[in-house]
Formats: sequence, structure tokens, C-alpha cells
Amino acid sequence: MAENQDRPDGVANTDRRALMLGIAGASTVLTIKPALAQSTGSVLNCQIPVPDPGRTGMYIAADGMTVAANTPGSFPPAMRPFTGEQVKRALRGNTLPGTTYQQSQAYLNYIRRLQAGQSGFTCFASLQMPGR
Amino acid sequence: MMLRYAAPPPGACLRDEAEGLTLLYHRASGQTHILIEPAPHILDALADAPMTEGELLATLAAAFEVNQAEAVGERLAELVAAGLVSTS
Repeated sequence: MAENQDRPDGVANTDRRALMLGIAGASTVLTIKPALAQSTGSVLNCQIPVPDPGRTGMYIAADGMTVAANTPGSFPPAMRPFTGEQVKRALRGNTLPGTTYQQSQAYLNYIRRLQAGQSGFTCFASLQMPGR
Repeated sequence: MMLRYAAPPPGACLRDEAEGLTLLYHRASGQTHILIEPAPHILDALADAPMTEGELLATLAAAFEVNQAEAVGERLAELVAAGLVSTS
């Protein structure tokens, strides 16, 4: 078979490169948003609800798991979200505002268990970055 | 009036090529964009001067054998949505 065949559509080969402008069902630009690349100020002002809105009304056990309301040994949900700054201080030994020591520890255990996709995860992850 | 499309000014982005992909870090937004053909060629063409869709097609056609020219609007819309191309 000849290697330098003309194209099947009858158009002769040229030296110019082909540039396809149509990309079926695909995008030619993928943007990576800097979810963690926030300024120090915005990290400290970000918020972590305990628990996240998907589990509103659930209580927080000492190990940080969410449990049914009024489960013995568990703590009621936090009245309002904590800020990154409050959580950062608590991780250094302070208690979260408006909580007892045990309650604060339970909330911090909950926050440590946060996973991607849960409200507050990005905020908590940001606190782990060097220099925060 | 026809829309004119413009690429970011020189120095607005850091650019690198890797394995057929073009990586662009847009300083102002802090966002990183991964581009595949023909997006980098469109940005290159617009870097010389803002132009209309028709002018862009003519510029690309001077350098390449352009296929599916009717899709140029979609490609421009992607770049505008990403904040890499502005309109005036």
C-alpha cells in the first residue's frame, strides 16, 4: 500500500497542519480553581458547621461521629458554625467558644473526620497548610 | 456591533507545555487552566490584537488547515467562560 496516499475526500495533502475547531462533546479548557489557595484572612474567616447541613439535628459523639439526637454521652449540634480562626485556636488547646472542654473535643474530633465534599472540609484542610 | 475578542495582556499568565497540554496559570485569578488544541492557538492568534470571530478564523486559516470552522464560537465561549479571553 502506498504511504503517500491522497486523502479519501480527494483533497490533496498539504504541508499545513490541520486544526480541528470542533471537539465533539468535550471542552478544550479545564480550569482548576484554587480551593485551598486562599489568603490567610479568608482562611481564618471561613466557616465549619458542626455538623454539616446534611446532618442537621444530629448530635456529636465524643469520638466525633454523628449520632441520633439525645444519644447518651453525645453533644447537641453547635448553635452556629465555627470560624477557621476559632478552630485553629482550639487545635492548639483552647476550647471552641460556647462549649465545655468535652464538647469542644467532640466537635474537634468531628472536624478532623471531615471529608471532601462535606461542608467545612475545605476550610479545615486550609488550616492544615503550612504557615496558616 | 461585532464583538471583539482579546487575549490576556503579556505577563498576565505563566505558560508551560507538557505532553501535548498547555498549562496556563492566570496570575490575577490564581486559577490554573489546562488547555488542549485548538485553545492555545486561539489565544496565540488573539495575543497579537483583539479581533472578531471572522478575523480570528482568517488568522487561523492563514497558519492551519482549519476544520469545522463553525465551532469557533464554541471555543471562544469556553475561553471567555474561563476568564482567559475578554470581549469588547
